[in-house]
Amino acid sequence: MPSVLRVYLGLLLACLLLVAPVPAFARGPLVLAAASLQEAMNDAAKAWTARRHEAPVLSFAGSSALARQIEAGAPADLFISADEEWMDHVADKGLLKPGTRASFLTNRIVLIVPAGSRANLRIGRDFPLAKALGNSRLAMADPNAVPAGRYGKAALMALGVWPSVQNRIAIAENVRAALLLVERGEAPFGIVYATDARASSKVRVVGVFPANSHSPVSYPIATLKASKHPDAEAFRRFLLSREGKAIFARRGFSVR
Amino acid sequence: MTAEEWDIILLSLKVSGVAVLATLPVAFAIAWLLARARFPGKLLLDAFVHLPLVLPPVVMGWLLLIAFGNNGPIGRWFAEWVGVTFMFRWTGAALAAAIMALPLMVRAMRLSIEAVDPRLEAAARTLGASPLRTFFTITLPLARPGLLAGAVLGFARSIGEFGATITFVSNIPGETRTIPLAIYGALQIPGNEAAVTRLAIIAVLLSLGALLVSEWLARRSGFGKGGHVL
Repeated sequence: MPSVLRVYLGLLLACLLLVAPVPAFARGPLVLAAASLQEAMNDAAKAWTARRHEAPVLSFAGSSALARQIEAGAPADLFISADEEWMDHVADKGLLKPGTRASFLTNRIVLIVPAGSRANLRIGRDFPLAKALGNSRLAMADPNAVPAGRYGKAALMALGVWPSVQNRIAIAENVRAALLLVERGEAPFGIVYATDARASSKVRVVGVFPANSHSPVSYPIATLKASKHPDAEAFRRFLLSREGKAIFARRGFSVR
Repeated sequence: MTAEEWDIILLSLKVSGVAVLATLPVAFAIAWLLARARFPGKLLLDAFVHLPLVLPPVVMGWLLLIAFGNNGPIGRWFAEWVGVTFMFRWTGAALAAAIMALPLMVRAMRLSIEAVDPRLEAAARTLGASPLRTFFTITLPLARPGLLAGAVLGFARSIGEFGATITFVSNIPGETRTIPLAIYGALQIPGNEAAVTRLAIIAVLLSLGALLVSEWLARRSGFGKGGHVL
């Protein structure tokens, strides 16, 4: 064999050995979780590994994107959505394991400004958000699809403010991208979860939207029918346990 | 096709068109420097130009946000001295598309400049033409097919630009919602398959068309032994 060919085959073999398939369960269950759960789920995964289990693999995105991935056959074990609608959507397609769905967290949505901003607004009926925005934009996750955006839109509609701001939204791909825009001062106002604002030192909360201005923020968790990992059910139970819920409470979620 | 979808297509064409036209002279200048000039740091320039090709697009988008956002150093300069802002506007989408298309355009143009026989340029100089005149009457016309091929290739790349755009200027209808962003947004809503398919077909047709034109132009110019730019 010519030496060039030998070198090539040698390199190819080396690469393949590097990524040799590990036994399928050397890693923990694959969890698809709403973007707002990042810090809390990372804490929970750490606590789980401290109990001598394989580290769960966490994938965060807007719940709408995750639901789509599950629909398309993503081989995940657990799904934690930021609203009941997207979980319903997945359930309607028969993709959940029966009896595993439980709603266990709630959250609030808040109006934030960059940390250095001195803007102040009192949230109430017809509050002057459009005027405060002026020529700039309100950062939100997609109000048509992503839960954080949907709750925000519902709240603004309930307060009679939506028509005046609906053309001035900076539509971010998920709630954390909206948070980033406010952190960087590119958007003077943003609507995110209370827990997101808490996770960031670069933004300040100017108001909390009244709980009755939108449907209650509810995070359901469920095991997917496609789940194959033996640890998946145990991890789900852990998240729903008192200890698991305490981890979320420490990050600002309210537990049910 | 709804009116909204036509708006999206027109916005895509506008964003990509502006991106390519604005980048054309820049890409050509860089291509000429890399092809003809000798200077310290040439390798560094080559590497930097190729960065958008190898960095994850989301990283490029984030870098653009930091540098060209309203609070970024370059963004502030542009707002003050040129009167142009990028955040949440089609100009930002065009900038993202331009940056991502630049490496492809530079590569194509550089190939065609290198294919121009330097002896022709030397001959022009010996006959008394200034460097500038040589450039405009010898180099540029001979390199023109590659220039066009690079532009069309850059256009095809711009049409498909997504990651940097959505990270930098988000997904704003009428301003930054180009075809890829519109498809992404539509995918988030269940039951939207028809709209997604229509937009996807348009995207494929536009990109394919641009690529075919680019290949044809490249072959016409005959540069490289096989006459390819891809």
